[in-house]
Amino acid sequence: MTHRYVAGRLVQSLVLMGVVITTAFVLIHVAPGDPVTYLYGGQAVSAQALDNIRHAWGLDRPLWAQYLAYVGNVARGNLGYSQINFQSVAAILADALPNTLLLMIPSVLLAAIGGVFLGMTAARRAGSGVDYAIGAASLVSYATPPFWLSVIFIVVFASTLHWFPTQGMATLGASTQGLARAADVAWHMVLPLGVLAWWYSASFTRLTRAAIIEESRKYYLMTARMKGLTEHKVFYKHALRNAMRSVVTVLGLQLGTMFAGAVMTEIVFAWPGTGRIIFGAILEHDYPVVLGFFMIIGSGVVLANLAVDLVYALLDPRVRYG
Amino acid sequence: MPVGPAATPDTALPRPRAGGRPAAGGRLGRTQYVWLALRRQPVPMAALCALAALGFGALAAHMVLPWNPNTMSTDTLQPMSAAHLLGADYLGRDVLTRMAYGIRASFLVGLSVALIAISIGLVVGLLAGYYGSWVEAVLMRTADALLILPGFFLALLVAYLFGGRFASVILLLGITGWPQIARIARAEVLSLKAAEFVESARACGASNRRIVFREILPNALPPVLAMMAILTSYGILSEASLSFLGVGDPNVISLGGMLSNGLQYATTAWWVPTFPGAAIFLLVLLLNIIGDGLSVALNPHAAQIGRRTAV
Repeated sequence: MTHRYVAGRLVQSLVLMGVVITTAFVLIHVAPGDPVTYLYGGQAVSAQALDNIRHAWGLDRPLWAQYLAYVGNVARGNLGYSQINFQSVAAILADALPNTLLLMIPSVLLAAIGGVFLGMTAARRAGSGVDYAIGAASLVSYATPPFWLSVIFIVVFASTLHWFPTQGMATLGASTQGLARAADVAWHMVLPLGVLAWWYSASFTRLTRAAIIEESRKYYLMTARMKGLTEHKVFYKHALRNAMRSVVTVLGLQLGTMFAGAVMTEIVFAWPGTGRIIFGAILEHDYPVVLGFFMIIGSGVVLANLAVDLVYALLDPRVRYG
Repeated sequence: MPVGPAATPDTALPRPRAGGRPAAGGRLGRTQYVWLALRRQPVPMAALCALAALGFGALAAHMVLPWNPNTMSTDTLQPMSAAHLLGADYLGRDVLTRMAYGIRASFLVGLSVALIAISIGLVVGLLAGYYGSWVEAVLMRTADALLILPGFFLALLVAYLFGGRFASVILLLGITGWPQIARIARAEVLSLKAAEFVESARACGASNRRIVFREILPNALPPVLAMMAILTSYGILSEASLSFLGVGDPNVISLGGMLSNGLQYATTAWWVPTFPGAAIFLLVLLLNIIGDGLSVALNPHAAQIGRRTAV
């Protein structure tokens, strides 16, 4: 059974990757305008010269041949070239991605620790004032658009209180190295990290609370109590552990949304990550970069969900045999 | 024979009934029951009233406020005053007036996205749940797959490549929102399919179409409609995000676009980006409070269980 489950998920992920690539390919071909006219149309070039460029780029070949070439390129990690500075899209994104992850990973961890703790507390005292307060707080943080909270943080903590810098990842012109550089980056990171952790934590809190309450209705907890286990053990070893599975699964599905939040926060704080790249590419009509970005996010989300499911298939026999 | 709380039928909710209409003798149908249970919760009801007030306020704004949302003036970046209640932006346009138009657009987007997602999801869920076998396999696998793909970025890409006309943004977001509705509808249909009144309808010789649309659909509707608030907030937030990223319709005043355009004045004229963002926040918050109230109204049993078992 295990093998069947794993094989099923692998096939599904492969199909999804295919869907991502095919969607990208179809969209470029259906979208109005063709790249050659767009790039050279405004210049004094003869129609013959334009045709030559089309031929050189393979745009006169049948669609299926173009599609195969496209899939081959993507599979080899070639996502095309920017129309603005002619750099490789893969290289541009590879430069920016670490900065995005530097922001995202600590905020997810922070939100996970805080959110699971709050969700746990709320579930243990479901119906109490504490539960109500945590619920209200998580509802507020859930409804705060990250780009708006970023603006408020800048207005309050940067331009009014001057506690933190308004923008960027490092002090301009400073050529610090090593520890001083790390401290500088950390100082610039506080506000965007705070925004993301605040926004992400809502999902963790709400999901954890709901999952624990769901678990607490099940009979194995009664069995555990009848065995004479302490409430502490019943809660942490049984209810919480099983509740975490649905929390992680749902969060895997929200990865794209979480990334979108990071992108918008980066834009407000001028953080040099993928968010600024995509924002610039949209403004400058640099479509290979926008497309490459979609491909990276799409396949990243598919792979992360696959990883979550496979890890759980290893840890939880119910997934394998259920 | 299963025993205990998890297996007992939900006593707080009336059993689904044929046609979903109130039965003779004044007993309530499921939809009315949900509405009654919602009305008993003060906070979600207050949120509903506030949301309605916000909507009507936005609709009536042009009759009260003297400004045209697009007319530029020399009041560039003027702070809040009696003339400009929430200040003026970098082109001297009144922020409050523009916000009223932005809120209208948000309502339009949110509600349309919710309706599209619910319509598609309902049809898919009904078909999958009722017919089972390969129909279910194909439809639900598609839903699972779409749930994994990052819908927001798909919408971003399409809106970017084709130019984000208002209608196409709505359609796109609606299409990315249906899979979760399909899942809820399917689960509902699966439990209703085995209900006695469906069986008796079948025994009476009712056709598949009649059973699906007259017996199952009305009873499956409440949990799906309860998602309306959440889907509307999804639509509003996504449209604001797309406009913030610069792929929205440039001819429509959007709260996200106002925030994005005012970003560079955050440190000098904070009201320009802050108030439109506050409107998005308020809309999403109110909708989620209503959504929570609806899910409690729909399933009061779950809330009680949570209260009784202190794990």
